[in-house]
This record gives sequence, structure tokens and C-alpha cells, in this order.
Amino acid sequence: MTMEEMKNEAETNSMVSMTLYAVMYPVFNELERINLSAAQTLRAAFIKAEKENPGLTQDIIMKILEKKNVEINFTESLLRMAADDVEEYMIERQEQEFKDLNEKARALKQILSKIPDEINDRVRFLQTIKDIASAIKELLDTVNNVFKKYQYQNRRALEHQKKEFVKYSKSFSDTLKTYFKDGKAINVFISANRLIHQTNLILQTFKTVA
Amino acid sequence: MEDDVKKVKKPGLVSPFKRVFLKGEKGRDKKAQEKSSERRALHTFSLSLPDHRIDPDILLNDYIEKEVKYLGQLTSVPGYLNPSSRTDVLQLIDNARKSHQLAGNLTSEQDAVVSLSAYNVKLTRRDTEDIILRVPIHDIAAVSYIRDDSLHLVLLKTAQEVGSSPCPSTCMELSKSATMGSLSESGAVLVEACSLLVLAVDNKGAAEELCLLLSQVFQIVYTESTIDFLDRAIFDGATTPTRHHSLYSDDSSSKVDVKEAFEAEAGTFSFQSSLEAGGHSPCPSPSSTPASPQPKTASDSELSTTAAELLQDYMTTLRTKLSSQEIQQFATLLHEYRNGSSIHEFCINLRQLYGDSRKFLLLGLRPFIPEKDSQHFENFLETIGVKDGRGIITDSFGRYRRTASSASDSTTNGNGAAGGSDEALAPSEGDEWDRMISDISNDIEALGCHMDQDGTGP
Repeated sequence: MTMEEMKNEAETNSMVSMTLYAVMYPVFNELERINLSAAQTLRAAFIKAEKENPGLTQDIIMKILEKKNVEINFTESLLRMAADDVEEYMIERQEQEFKDLNEKARALKQILSKIPDEINDRVRFLQTIKDIASAIKELLDTVNNVFKKYQYQNRRALEHQKKEFVKYSKSFSDTLKTYFKDGKAINVFISANRLIHQTNLILQTFKTVA
Repeated sequence: MEDDVKKVKKPGLVSPFKRVFLKGEKGRDKKAQEKSSERRALHTFSLSLPDHRIDPDILLNDYIEKEVKYLGQLTSVPGYLNPSSRTDVLQLIDNARKSHQLAGNLTSEQDAVVSLSAYNVKLTRRDTEDIILRVPIHDIAAVSYIRDDSLHLVLLKTAQEVGSSPCPSTCMELSKSATMGSLSESGAVLVEACSLLVLAVDNKGAAEELCLLLSQVFQIVYTESTIDFLDRAIFDGATTPTRHHSLYSDDSSSKVDVKEAFEAEAGTFSFQSSLEAGGHSPCPSPSSTPASPQPKTASDSELSTTAAELLQDYMTTLRTKLSSQEIQQFATLLHEYRNGSSIHEFCINLRQLYGDSRKFLLLGLRPFIPEKDSQHFENFLETIGVKDGRGIITDSFGRYRRTASSASDSTTNGNGAAGGSDEALAPSEGDEWDRMISDISNDIEALGCHMDQDGTGP
């Protein structure tokens, strides 16, 4: 793997860029209704800046919050906002398998984003975990269905992304085990954010390759 | 004056009745005192108020004892009994007391100790330590507290004894319409039956404490099983289906094809041939088996690393733990299970093969048991006292970790339920499991070669 490839891989997997699409994209969408040109310019600028400097968007947001003396838990807020569809990642193909992929990915992200609301009630949180488990399984089954049905030349990229998703799913499970021991919810939020990011990357990969 | 005389106690004169009565009372008090001073101290811990919180590690790795009175156990109780319905429960208890199924007056004879852990509720006699009964946690359906005047009852609704078939309810006054049950051949109404364990404690505080402790146990078990469910879902989804038959007879498309797994990952290894051999069909000779790893095909790459790794791991362990002959037997059993024999038979035979000192090896089979048989398999593991961090009690509480930092974690509670498997797993558990994750392919390969040398086959 070349240095460029390594950088790209690190970049795409980096969760810091999640702030760009989870926080800023909805802002740009709102802005487009007011000033389309300005919104599009800003969007392009942020995308370019984030690509060259991963984490820049998050730094800017944090500074704005600091300036405004807004005290929020950024990780928790990010998780709550992360359920929205990211248009750039939605697969446009009309075949049922791809529609299912979009749907299952959306379902998983929505359940994960509910964690902050459920985590303090053990019974409800356990039910949420079961829902997450089912959603993960359904997403992976849908990915498998696409694999079965379609032969891709760049199948390796898809396999790799699926493997990464499984890895972060397991990491999420391990984080939950630790949480039930130490009670530190923030780690669960971080892990959930990572899993949402991986879900988006699966969609992005299929969109690129398919 | 007479009254004054009457009122004055004359020294030296004691009513004979009082003398006998008080002497008896004093004697009994003295005996009770002696008894309580002779009794061993309970294994208990201080609990955080107000909800009597206890460190989960204590319930997982240790146990806590409380003093109770054991009134008895009612069996064949209708399964629809609501244990928090005071009227229904007291009616049941009253009838049981009348028919002497439950103790009437409470004396020291009913004194008992309830030992509570995340695995079971154990009742023993206070003085003799004789075991009265043991109820696995998964057999407890509900717990309730009912106060009847001065009596503080804690009731555990549990499964009827394992293996018993539904029997006619003994409480006809509580039976619902026949549509709720089924008719036996004799025409008697059969309803799903359960048991009711009846305990009495000193006061409301003790009852609430016991109930809250059990509640925490349930929470631990439910949490563990939820995490286990999550792990299973991830594993099931991670395996990529292939076009070939799966290992399992239910042909679940989500299960890995073991043949391809090992051809992909083990190279020279011919798993399917070895399985089918089990003594019955030819095993590829060394000359026909490629000496070098097969080049990976497109279908090979479909296989999940997770599944292949797990298979490899298990094989590796078997290699280190079983003799060649035992590996052959394992292959035969696996082959039979694959071809339709019951999970029960598979478990029993494997247990026999592994013996007591190696029964922990059964744990490694968990990922390969299909969903339809997984419950039976888990129950079987528990009955033989095998637990680890991924079973009914998993490592959500750090009790078992696959890292070097927690090599001291034990897989059992203080009651030592798992026996020999503790010694096998406790030291360097991470290494043990890692070995479990890498050797099985070589085992079966060795099996195949061994069988070839023996000249078995059609």
C-alpha cells in the first residue's frame, strides 16, 4: 500500500470527519434555502479543507461552542445528530438489494443515535442493545445478499469495508461490556459514533463500487 | 390488710407452675443461645442502601448468604399463578399448610440459609448444612414478597422439575377454563405447571433485601444474555454464505461452510474428507493432497475472517488437548451431528469424550452450534458446570477477558460449581483461548492422515 493509499484509508476511517457530514451538512442544507450559492461554496470549501486536514471541522465547531459558552457533551450531541441520512452516501440504484441497504443502514443509525436517551434506564437500554443487534445482523445480511447477487471487480474493497464494520461492531460489544462494569457512558457514545461512521462508509463503498 | 398481704411477695416461695414453666423457658432460651453461638457466621457483605446494591463481582465470582426459614416447596402449581397476587398465593399456601405440604408453625427446624449467586439459589439447613435444593437462576420465573400478619413470605416461582411433563394441577380452585390447558388421555385438565418455593424471613427489611438481591441477579443474567445475543448477531452476520451446503443440517445460509473455511485458511487441509471419513470413506492420501496451500479463489475470499479464525482456533486447541484417536472420535461425532443426530446426543457424546478435565473444550463449539440448537447447548453447558465469559454469564463485568491483564479471572463462583475447568481456564486464559483459535485444522488434518495410514475407507 502506498503512502497515499494509507493516508486515504486513515482519512476515510477517521471518525473526526464525521462532524462534517453529521453537523455541517444539515447546516449547509438549511443555508441553501436562503443563499444557494453561498451554501454551495461553503460546502465545497469545508469538504476540501477537511480532506486536507482531517478533524478541522470538529475543531472549528468546538471553538464556536467555546466562544458562545455553550456547554454540551459534543460526543453525545454528535451521536444524536448522526442518524440523519447523508445524501452523499445514499446509494441511488433502484434494485431492491440496494434499497434494502439504504434502509437497513438508516435503521441501524437511528437506533444507535437513541442510546443517550436509553442508557440510563437499564431495562430500556438492554432492549435497545437487542434492537441494535438485530439491526446489525440485518445490515450484514443485506450486504451478504448483494455479494451473492452481484459480482464486482473491486470486490476486495467491499469485503474490506464489511470486515471493518464487523470489527467496529465487535468493538462496540466490548465497549458495552466495559460500560456495565465501569458505568462510563461516554465510551459507549464514542463507540456508537464509530459504528455509525462505519455504516456510512459501507454505503459509500457500495456507492462507489456498485 | 389482707390485700396488702396478698400483694407482698413472700420470699422463698415460688409457684410450682412457675418453677417448671420458667425452668423450661430458661432451658429453651439457653439452648437457643447455645445454638446461635454454635452456628457458623454467614458469608455476607454490606449492601449499599437504599436499594441494597451489591458489587456484581460478588454475585459472579462469590456468593452471599442470608438466613431464612424454609417452609417448603409446592410443585404442580398452575403456571399462570401470579406470584404477586396476594389472594391467590395465600389461598395456595393455606391449603398447603392444611394438607401439611408446608410447615405450619415456624420453629428452628425450618431454619435455613439461602446462598445467592449469579448462577443459582441454594438452600441448606442452617445447622446441618444439608442441601435442601438448588435452583438455577434461569429456572426462576418470578420472585415476590407477601406479608401475612407477622409472617414475611418470600416466594420464588420456578420451573417445574426438568424432564417432568405437565401434570394435573393440584389447585383446582385456581384452575382456569379447559381452553387454557390440554386434556390428558384420562380427560384431566393439564396445565403448564411450575413450583413455588416458600421462604419466610424475619421482617419486611429482610424480605426487601432478598428480593432486591435477586433482582440484581436477574439484571446480571439478563445483561449477559443480551450481550451474548449481540455477539451472536455480529457473528452470524459476519459469515458470508456460499453456494455449498453448510455444516449444519438446517442449511442455514448464514452459517459458514466449514469445508471452504479450511480450504481457504488451512491450505493443505481437507476437512470435509476427514469428516466424511469418520471411518467410513476414503481420506485423500498425502500424495493426492496438495502439499502447499491452495491458491485462494474468489469464493475463498467470500468467507468471513471471523468464522474462519474461530474454526482455526478451536481446531488448534483440540490438537493440543486430544489424542489422535480422540480426534477421530470427535470427527465422527461431528459428522453424525451434521447428518442429523440430535444436539442432545452430540453434547452427551462429546462430554463423554472430553471427560471432566477437558469439558471446557465444549465452550469452543459455541459459535458453530446453529441457532435452533443453541438454547439446548447453553443449558447443557450449565448443567455440566461449564461457564465462561461468553455463555449465559459472559464477560460483561470483566470476569473473563482475553487479555493478559486479567489472567486471574475465574470462570466460576465461590461455590466452585465448575470444578476442574477452573484450573484449566484460569491461568493465562488469553493464551488458552488463543490456542483454541488456531489448531483445529491441523487436528483434522492429522486425523485425515492418521486415517489414511490406517487404511480406512470403502
